Amino acid sequence: MTEKAEMVEEMIRQLGDDAVLHRKEDLLTYECDGLTVYRGMPLAVVFPSSTEEVSGVVKWLHEHEIPFIPRGAGTGLSGGATPFGGEVIISLVRMKRLLDVDYDNREAVVQPGYINLTLTNSITHKGFYYAPDPSSQACCTIGGNVAENAGGAHCLKYGVTTNHVLGLEVVLHNGEIVEIGGVPDAPGYDLMGLVTGSEGTLGIVTSITVRILKNPEAEETAMAYFDSVEDASYAVSGIIAAGIVPAAIEMMDEIAIQGVERATNPVGHPEGSKAVLIMEVDGIATGIEEQIEEMVSVCERHNVVDIKVAKNDRERGRWWANRKTAFGAMGAISPAYLVQDGVIPRSRLSEVLAHIADISAESGLRIANVFHAGDGNLHPLILFDARNEGETDLALDVGSRTLEACTAVGGSITGEHGVGIEKKEDMRLVFSDEEIERQITVRSVFNPHNLLNLDKQFPKPARCGEVKQAVGSGEAHQVAEQR
Amino acid sequence: MTTEPSLANLVVKKNEPPVGNYLWEDPPDEDKFSACVHCGLCLEACPTYQELGHEHQSPRGRIHSIVAVAEGKIDINEAFEDPMFTCLDCRACETACPAGVQVGALIEEARGQVRQARPLKGWQGLVSRFFLRGVFPHTKRLHTLGMLTKIYQKSGAQTVVRKSGAKKVLPDHLGAMEAIMPDVGRPVLKTHPERIPAEGEQKGSVSMFTGCIMDVMYSDVNEATVRVLTKNGHSVEMPKQQQCCGALHVHAGDREMGKKLARENIDTFLEADADHVVVNAAGCGCALREYPELLQNDDEYREKAERFAEKVLDVSKYLYDYGYRAPEAELRKRVTYHDACHLAHGQGVWDEPRDLLEDIPGVEMVPLPNADRCCGSAGIYNITHPDMAGRLLDRKIEEVPDDVEMISMGNPGCMLQMAMGVMNHGRDEAIVHTMQLLDWAYQLEGGETDD
Repeated sequence: MTEKAEMVEEMIRQLGDDAVLHRKEDLLTYECDGLTVYRGMPLAVVFPSSTEEVSGVVKWLHEHEIPFIPRGAGTGLSGGATPFGGEVIISLVRMKRLLDVDYDNREAVVQPGYINLTLTNSITHKGFYYAPDPSSQACCTIGGNVAENAGGAHCLKYGVTTNHVLGLEVVLHNGEIVEIGGVPDAPGYDLMGLVTGSEGTLGIVTSITVRILKNPEAEETAMAYFDSVEDASYAVSGIIAAGIVPAAIEMMDEIAIQGVERATNPVGHPEGSKAVLIMEVDGIATGIEEQIEEMVSVCERHNVVDIKVAKNDRERGRWWANRKTAFGAMGAISPAYLVQDGVIPRSRLSEVLAHIADISAESGLRIANVFHAGDGNLHPLILFDARNEGETDLALDVGSRTLEACTAVGGSITGEHGVGIEKKEDMRLVFSDEEIERQITVRSVFNPHNLLNLDKQFPKPARCGEVKQAVGSGEAHQVAEQR
Repeated sequence: MTTEPSLANLVVKKNEPPVGNYLWEDPPDEDKFSACVHCGLCLEACPTYQELGHEHQSPRGRIHSIVAVAEGKIDINEAFEDPMFTCLDCRACETACPAGVQVGALIEEARGQVRQARPLKGWQGLVSRFFLRGVFPHTKRLHTLGMLTKIYQKSGAQTVVRKSGAKKVLPDHLGAMEAIMPDVGRPVLKTHPERIPAEGEQKGSVSMFTGCIMDVMYSDVNEATVRVLTKNGHSVEMPKQQQCCGALHVHAGDREMGKKLARENIDTFLEADADHVVVNAAGCGCALREYPELLQNDDEYREKAERFAEKVLDVSKYLYDYGYRAPEAELRKRVTYHDACHLAHGQGVWDEPRDLLEDIPGVEMVPLPNADRCCGSAGIYNITHPDMAGRLLDRKIEEVPDDVEMISMGNPGCMLQMAMGVMNHGRDEAIVHTMQLLDWAYQLEGGETDD
């Protein structure tokens, strides 16, 4: 019996016939996640339904030294769930139950395959919601959110996933089940912080206790159009400088506006608009009106062309649907896109956006910008056609160059999408070789044989001088030169 | 065993032009599948993905497989056929898709290729050919089948069969279907004249598409539809040459017969030349409106198909847009509304039927959670995929609020399926078509009681 056949037989024995995929045709749909430019074939995909089943599977794979990848909905944008080839994918989508809601203590316990938006929908009748709201929230899993430390439009005010995770049950690399966190500010090291955002390299999360919040008493949403991205950028800085803490400030530029208007959720953005801001304030009712008025007046000082406030929840919902489906909407204007996830200081917005526009012009690839302007988390959407020879490579190169533009002003390479496969090499833009090696040492404590999501997140530390050119990190150069 | 990963090897260099392994006419259209950017927003909209959690049983996964065949990476084999035919063709993914990918059309094109490459054999092929080729395309034979059913019901044979337990020899799901078969009336296409004048002042005139299942199994719904239309001042014409819409054929991958029926219907209705063609069966309405898609490679009929499709409207939308009068009599019923997939997702008709129902005095509308998730009927899906259809039906019925008396909808397939669900769950909600409720309300104006 081949190694694969033995593995498949064992997985079927543990999980049942319908919980194991191993035919080439079926596996092919697991060759990538939401990032389609890298693809690799898994050995099999298995669907455990309980923590014990995850543990059993992991234990066996560990003993047989077969690498494995935890996977949620597969909506990630950095290839975190994409195989290099030969891994077993452990899909957690069948673990999708809401285990408990404790309204008094404002906590909910979910399985990892539970859908982000479903949590809010399940507790809204009691006036509660779950704050982290990635644009894929209608289909992404909370387990995946934990792995990627997902953000979202409203993270400007409410923080990212790590700020909302209170406790985790984790299956370790050898199948052992442990619980971490559970109480606020637990003594000892912050393991919760370490595991959240570890992209499946430290363990497989099988149960998550999250914070739930009371719905804000009031909220107001405004949409403002500008004749230039610069004006919109200055308005964003102006709003933050005025001391307002908006729940969200989102920006879309001209190409992005064209995309969403030609897709499924158009809202009638005026043709030719160079930039639109969607701004939201929420909280106790008192003062909300004043905040919106102040935001309007800041926009007016920065040459706003038109500004309107959502008349009701229905209109607010339509505006958010328009914004939150923007990535997918690129399908209406381009056969493929690559999205980057750079972070920059807010004050450098217009400068970096101009730099990105230059990169676009030089490469000949259109770049749409849809992003969380309030916290300086850029999402340049590089539009390309994989059918044209060499264009995928060009798009990847353009992506890396936009990240260089971010790190050059003191920013970072990822705000919420994770590193995965895609930005492994770009890690060298922000970390020296030594720093990367130290982090791999930490990983080795949890994942000594590198079987858990094999080789994701960190590049192989460069030796023998094979250092990728590092821009914006003088230290990386130095380390390389010393070797 | 550890792999030696290399990033460069994983980069997709170039997608080959889609000739691949599609060898027949009408392959899945590259323009349609290249609009999918794999974002995944369709996943949670898909009933089969919700049930199975398998990527290849999701809209984006199915498109991924369709592209893989186009690129020659996989063959048209059993492993490809399964996800293509496990799809309900419910179009919920199209509502969810930000990029407007026409998943339904892609699946139907793929099924066409599958059926050419792998024709159904044995009894499945026999039954399929008998109905798709032998019965549905021939109105007379269909009516004869209806008549036989009627004889079966009226002669006492049905009672004998039910009492004797003879239906136990049928597979479970077919036995259940036999049990909920409505009393078959006589098709309106036979009983009604070609032209029925409007009552009172004429506001409009329409051609009516009567449907096969609707007219044979639910001729009372068709009768109600005619009464509601004429009551509201719309004359109704019933072109006698009309044929089955071909939806079942296209769903099953028999595109050739689907196209033949489409051409005949286009000729018939364009000749009748009414401003609008109204339909009360969502599945048929959706299919008729998609004739341009089906005939996109037919130079002679492409333009005609577009002219025809523009005329086609679901009856609820037609009434809502072109004038109706709210009934005056009270119909004191608690009603919930189920969205037929091919009405909501397929034709974008969500609010109109609900508004019509809400306008009936006395009707109290109770929301149905996940009203637009497929009930599992999906044409003949409940016959070909009884397990999945049953799972979806159970979920649907479990969500029907406890205290409603009626479940209203706009599609005969859903009506049969929901009737079976209500029976299986030991419940007693009445399954009605939106037009029937309106019709009863109008009839009550004559002073009848609402029992």
